[in-house]
Amino acid sequence: MKNTLWKALGILLLAYVFAITFLVPLGPGLLEFQNVERVISSSTENRSVPEYQLIGYGTHWDDDPDALQVFVKSKSQLAALEVIRVDDANHATVGLTLPYSLPAKSWNVLINHPIDGTLLLENGLFLSDRFIDAQATWPAPSFVEHPGNLGFHFPYQPRIIETIRNLMLHVPLWFTMFLLMGIGFVSSIKLLSNPRNQLDDQRAEASVQVGLWFGVLGLLTGSLWARFTWGAWWVDDPQLNGALVTVLVYSGYMVLRQAVEDERLRSRLSAVYNLFAFVILVILLMVLPRFSESLHPGKGGNPGFNTYDLNSALRAVFYPAIIGWMLLGIWMYLVTLRMKRVNRQIELLP
Amino acid sequence: MSERMSRSSAWSRYRFLTAHAFRMEWRQKHGLAGLLLFALASVYACYQVAGGRASSETWNALAWVVLMFSAFNAVAKPWPEDSEAMRKYLKTTLRPGEWILARMTFYSAILSALSVLIFLSFTLFLGSEHFNPRQGLSFLLGLECTALAFASLLSVLSAIASRAGAGFGLTAVLGLPLIIPIVLISTRYGTDILKGILWIDTAHHLLFLAALTGGIGALGFILFPYLWRD
Repeated sequence: MKNTLWKALGILLLAYVFAITFLVPLGPGLLEFQNVERVISSSTENRSVPEYQLIGYGTHWDDDPDALQVFVKSKSQLAALEVIRVDDANHATVGLTLPYSLPAKSWNVLINHPIDGTLLLENGLFLSDRFIDAQATWPAPSFVEHPGNLGFHFPYQPRIIETIRNLMLHVPLWFTMFLLMGIGFVSSIKLLSNPRNQLDDQRAEASVQVGLWFGVLGLLTGSLWARFTWGAWWVDDPQLNGALVTVLVYSGYMVLRQAVEDERLRSRLSAVYNLFAFVILVILLMVLPRFSESLHPGKGGNPGFNTYDLNSALRAVFYPAIIGWMLLGIWMYLVTLRMKRVNRQIELLP
Repeated sequence: MSERMSRSSAWSRYRFLTAHAFRMEWRQKHGLAGLLLFALASVYACYQVAGGRASSETWNALAWVVLMFSAFNAVAKPWPEDSEAMRKYLKTTLRPGEWILARMTFYSAILSALSVLIFLSFTLFLGSEHFNPRQGLSFLLGLECTALAFASLLSVLSAIASRAGAGFGLTAVLGLPLIIPIVLISTRYGTDILKGILWIDTAHHLLFLAALTGGIGALGFILFPYLWRD
């Protein structure tokens, strides 16, 4: 009974994680603020102003078109733009009602909407042809940050967008691999201190074998993610190199096991190699990437990971995902271990 | 012999073993000659591929690759001590830690000499227009540090492979992935030097290499007795 409870818990957690991960909608965000190379007449200023198209992702502007407010902000200077019309839920036509001399060229675009709340598009507007006057100021329009009125949703991140769901697969898969390789490391140490206990050898082999699967899955999900966010299936990055080399090192462990006939000798040689492999794993995935520039979040000064961590919606799925994947990994490890022991019993039969 | 060994100190046994390794190597000269030939032929093949006008990136990449493969070639040769009878005899006369240290020292010396040779032949064939003498010396220093790191790792791996009785192929399979962290650090150092970055600003890579060498050496020293056991 005790043995089935935690397995059921793992499966339940993973079912919860998969359901939430793929069913919960993504929060709204701003995709683009683009110049459509046209002018449009402004009703508030009685002149023609450049026409811009504001494109949102997952927004609900047509539910309450009159309430959409668009602002641009540079440093502390805020300006309101005129919303000419809302075309549909994700598109609005905006008139660039700005004076000719401006304090800066680069502007953040902000919107306020009762459903979507306050959204920000960083450096969404760049005006190269304006006269720059650092002293240019005007009275700021009233702007109140709006929390929005949406249900449970994942936060919108620029460039990552829908692939943020991969956070529940990619990261816990690597964590699980770490756990399994850690089990292998401890088993190898125990084997070297007491070589008679062949069970430790089977433990080490089973954990590395299962951990390798998690490593390969971590590589595949990471590759998918890299294709979407960085534009290539594989990029030259310390974290990625480390991940691939880790998988190769542990494949070497499996090769070494195949190469040795004698059982006692095999257990000892592979334990020695396994200790080396784990040390290299720690160096590659936890030490080296911190000392070099990296695109990968959480490394090389990239703050991406902290932003995810802070969001409560992601945390509500991410932590159960870690526990669920780890329980599954341990279950797979135990089944593999039992298979090895049964096979050994069969071999020993007369 | 065994009488003398048991009364001698660990330090003198280590010195004897190291000197013995060199003496054995010197007696059968074909091993050393093969090593030299392999390194020179690799450099010459690089020269044929890249021509005399290799860019600094190509120069850098080829130098490290040649050093890496020469290092694997250097440890490929089986030792007489790897044989079952010899190991059983040595076990009664000395501690395994002394033996692995001697082996590491021997490989360090061989690979250091080899890296100087590779560097000189590279400047001869592929040209030295990418660096001034000062940068050249810094690059050579990087090669030396890498050679020591390779020696400490590959001594243990070749010991594992020879104990497994599987020969050179297994050393390569086990060693190539494990050696990549060292190669990553070294190539970054080499790139920095050839880019003209001041030595002091990239010297931390050498510290990493030294730490790796020390760590791997210590791990090998601790674990090697387990390889020797029956």
